Amino acid sequence: MTDFTRRKAIAVAMGTMAGAATAVSLPGAAAAADSDLAIFVKLSAALTGIDALKLAPDLDQKKAPGTDVIGIKHAYFAVASKDPAFPDLMKIAREADPNFAAAAEIITGKATDDIKFLGRSIILAWYLGAWYPPKVLQKGTRPGLTDVTVISPTAYTQGWTWRVAQAHPMGYSELRFGHWGDRPTSTLELTGKKLEEP
Amino acid sequence: MCADKVGGPYDAVIVGSGISGALIAKKLGLAKKKVLILEAGERLPANVNDYMNRFFNAVAKIPESPYPPELPSDPAKVKAGRPNVLELLPGIWDNPAKSYLVQNADKQSLPFASTYERVNGGTVRHWLGTSLRFVPADFEMNSRYGKFVDWPIKYRDLEPWYGEAEKEIGVSADAAEQTYLGITFSSDYPMPKIPESMVDKRVAAAMPGLKVPGVGLDDLQWKVSNTPAGRNSQPYQDRRVCAGNTNCIPICPIQAKYDPSVTLADALRTGNVDVVYNCVASKVLVGTDGRISGIQYIQYDKESQSPPRQVSGKIYILAGNAIETPRLLLMSEGANAPRGVGNGREPDQAVIGRYLMDHPLYLAWALAPKSVWGYRGPLSTSGIEVCRDGDFRKERGAFRIEIGNEGWNFPIGDPHTTTLDFVNAMNDSNQNGDKKALFGEDLAKHLNNILSRQFRLGFLVEQEPEFNNRVSLAVETDGLGLRRPAIAYNLSDYTKRGLAAAQVTATAIFKAMGIDKEATTDPSKDEPSAFFWQPTGKRIQYYGAGHIVGTHRMGSTKADSAVNDKQQSWHHNNLYLVGSGSFPTVATGNPTLTIAALCLRTADYIINSRQI
Repeated sequence: MTDFTRRKAIAVAMGTMAGAATAVSLPGAAAAADSDLAIFVKLSAALTGIDALKLAPDLDQKKAPGTDVIGIKHAYFAVASKDPAFPDLMKIAREADPNFAAAAEIITGKATDDIKFLGRSIILAWYLGAWYPPKVLQKGTRPGLTDVTVISPTAYTQGWTWRVAQAHPMGYSELRFGHWGDRPTSTLELTGKKLEEP
Repeated sequence: MCADKVGGPYDAVIVGSGISGALIAKKLGLAKKKVLILEAGERLPANVNDYMNRFFNAVAKIPESPYPPELPSDPAKVKAGRPNVLELLPGIWDNPAKSYLVQNADKQSLPFASTYERVNGGTVRHWLGTSLRFVPADFEMNSRYGKFVDWPIKYRDLEPWYGEAEKEIGVSADAAEQTYLGITFSSDYPMPKIPESMVDKRVAAAMPGLKVPGVGLDDLQWKVSNTPAGRNSQPYQDRRVCAGNTNCIPICPIQAKYDPSVTLADALRTGNVDVVYNCVASKVLVGTDGRISGIQYIQYDKESQSPPRQVSGKIYILAGNAIETPRLLLMSEGANAPRGVGNGREPDQAVIGRYLMDHPLYLAWALAPKSVWGYRGPLSTSGIEVCRDGDFRKERGAFRIEIGNEGWNFPIGDPHTTTLDFVNAMNDSNQNGDKKALFGEDLAKHLNNILSRQFRLGFLVEQEPEFNNRVSLAVETDGLGLRRPAIAYNLSDYTKRGLAAAQVTATAIFKAMGIDKEATTDPSKDEPSAFFWQPTGKRIQYYGAGHIVGTHRMGSTKADSAVNDKQQSWHHNNLYLVGSGSFPTVATGNPTLTIAALCLRTADYIINSRQI
C-alpha cells in the first residue's frame, strides 16, 4: 500500500514539475502513464548502455526538474507505445524494477520475438533517431528506404550513436571551430559510461 | 529593377544561377550592365531551415536530399529534373522510366555516376568546398606527356583570376603550403587555413615510411597537404566560421561554407540583375546571321506551365552545367543551326556534348589501429596532392587523394549500418562476422571501438577525354515535354589504369599506417559502376565525384572545340558557354575554383570588349 502511494505521488510530482516537456497526455490514467515514462527511460538505459540521466536529465525530478528541455524521451515513448508488444515489454520492465539490467536481459534474450524485436527498435530509436519497425528488423535484411522513418528532425539531432563515437550527428554540431584537431570529450562525459578501451 | 520578373531590356541573358552564372552576373551588374538570370529550379525558401528539415527527415542522406525537386521523382513528370545517386542502383540506372538521365546500357557502357542540382545556386549548393588550383602541367597534357590536348591557356594566364576567385568564394588556406608541383601565387588567400583533423595527423604520420610500388610514384616525397576550402576560418562576408558540422555535402547548417546564394545576393544588390525562378530555357534562337536572337523559356509551377516565352539580350551566357547546357544547345537545332546551336557546319566542329568526363573516384576504407575520432570537422580538411603530376601521366590517369573525416559514412552509410548490424545481428558492415546482437554497455563499447577508428580515402582519378563519351538527346521527355539528356559513357584503359593504381596506393598507405587488412570490399556482382580488371582478376568499383566536365570544351582553334579561351562560342559571337563544360581535360583538382576563375575572366573579357 505504502509503496503504491509513494510511487503515485512521485508520478504526479513528475507530471506537475517538469512543465511543458512532460505535459503530453498519454493514453490511460495520468499517474500510471508518467511512471511508465520513467520505467521506459530506465529500461532504455539498460538496453542502450547510456546512463539514464543522460537519456533524460530530469529523471530525478527532485534534483533536476525541467532540465530535459528537448524531451526526446516522449517521442520515443510515443512511437514505441503504438506497438502491440509494448504492454508486455513494459510488464517485464515493471516487474524487474529496479533491476532494469535483468529486464534488458530477458527482453533481448528469452522473450518472445515480438518483444525482442521491439526492444531492438527501441535501442535503434535512441541510437539513430529513426524508427526501424520490429517486423522490418525481424526480416534480418537491409531495410528499404521506405521501411524506416526518421522520427523527427530533433530525433536525428539527439541520436546516441554519434556521441558513443565521441562525435556529433552530421549536420548538427554544437562545438566550436577547430575542435576536430583535438581529442574529443570522453565517453564518460558524453554517455555517463566509460566506453573506451584502456 | 524588380528582381522577380522578366523586365528588360537586357544586356545579358544568363541561363543558370549556379556559381558560373552568379559570378558573371555579379561582375556585369557591378559594371552597370543589365542582366537577367533564368533559373530552372526553385528559389531559396523564405526560411532556409526548410532545407535543413528536409535533410534531417531524409532516410537516405544523399547530396540531393535537402533540395527540391522532392525525391523520388518521376523523371517523365518532373519539370526541372535532375539525377540523384539513388538512380545509380541496379535496375534503375539503365531504366529510363526511373532514371532522369537516359543512360546507354550496352556492353561498351558504364554508368555515368555523377549528379547535379537544378535550384538557386546550382550544384555548388552541395559541394564539399574543396578549392584547389589546377597545377601548371594540367594545362599542358599534350606538350608534356603526348596525351589528349593542351588548354588554349596556361596556368600563368589564369593565375590572377584564381586569386580573384579565392576572394569571391572566401577560400581558407596558407599559400606557403600550397606551392607544390609548380603552383605560384600572386596574391594571398583571404583567410588562414582550416585546421587539420586527427585523421589527417594520423595519415600524415605514416608518410615518411610510405612506399608505393609499380605505379610510377617510386621516388615521391609523400606528404599530407592542407586542403584550401571555400569555408570560413574567420568571419567573412557576414558569415560565421566553420563549427565542424561534418555536413558540407549536402548542406552547411550555418553557411560557413560558401554557396552561390552569397554571390547571387551581391548581384541583386547592384540593382542591375534580375533573377527569375522556375523558368526552364527550352530553346536558343538563332538569326540568319548566326547570332543568337533570343532564349525561349517555359515558366512553370506545380500545376501548370506557360506557353514558351521569349527574352532577348545583346549577349547570351549558358551556365547550366555540363549536361544541361549541351542538352539545351542540341534542343535548339534548327535552320540556322543545323547541328544544334554551338556546333559549326564542318564535321570536326560538332563537339557539343562530346568528351564528357568525370573524376571517377576510387574509395578505400579501414580501421585505424587506434582511435582517430572521425565524424568530426569538415568532411575533408587535408589530402595528398604531390602525386597529381609526373611522367606516369603518359601511361595512366593521375589522381589526388582526399582524406575523409566522416568515418565510413561514404562507403557504407555509417554509423547507421554498423549500429544496425550490432543491434540486429546483421553484418552489412563486415564488422560483425559472428552476427552478434548486442545491447547495453557491450553494444556501446563495441560501437565506440569501431566507429572511433573508422576513416576513408577517396582517389579522384583523371579521366581520359573520349569523343564517344557524350551527352545527346533522348527520346524520353520530362514534365515540360522537353527531351531528357541521353548519356553514353565508358572508362578507357588509361583511366582504368589510374583507378587500379589508386587501389595499390590505398593499400600501401594503409600498410604504412599499420593496417594489414583494410575494410574495402570488392563490389557486388550486380554493382553497375564497376569494371573487371584483368591484372587482379577482380572488379574495381568507382564512384562519381560530381565533377561533370568537357562537353563544350575550349580550344585554340575551331577544330575539335566549341569555345575559345574566353568561353565564347566559335560559331555565334554573342554566345558564351561557361563552366566546367569548357574544360578540355579534367586534371585531378576539384573543378569549382577553376570554373570560378574562368568565369571571372570571361566576365572581364565581356566588359573590356565592349560587346555590351
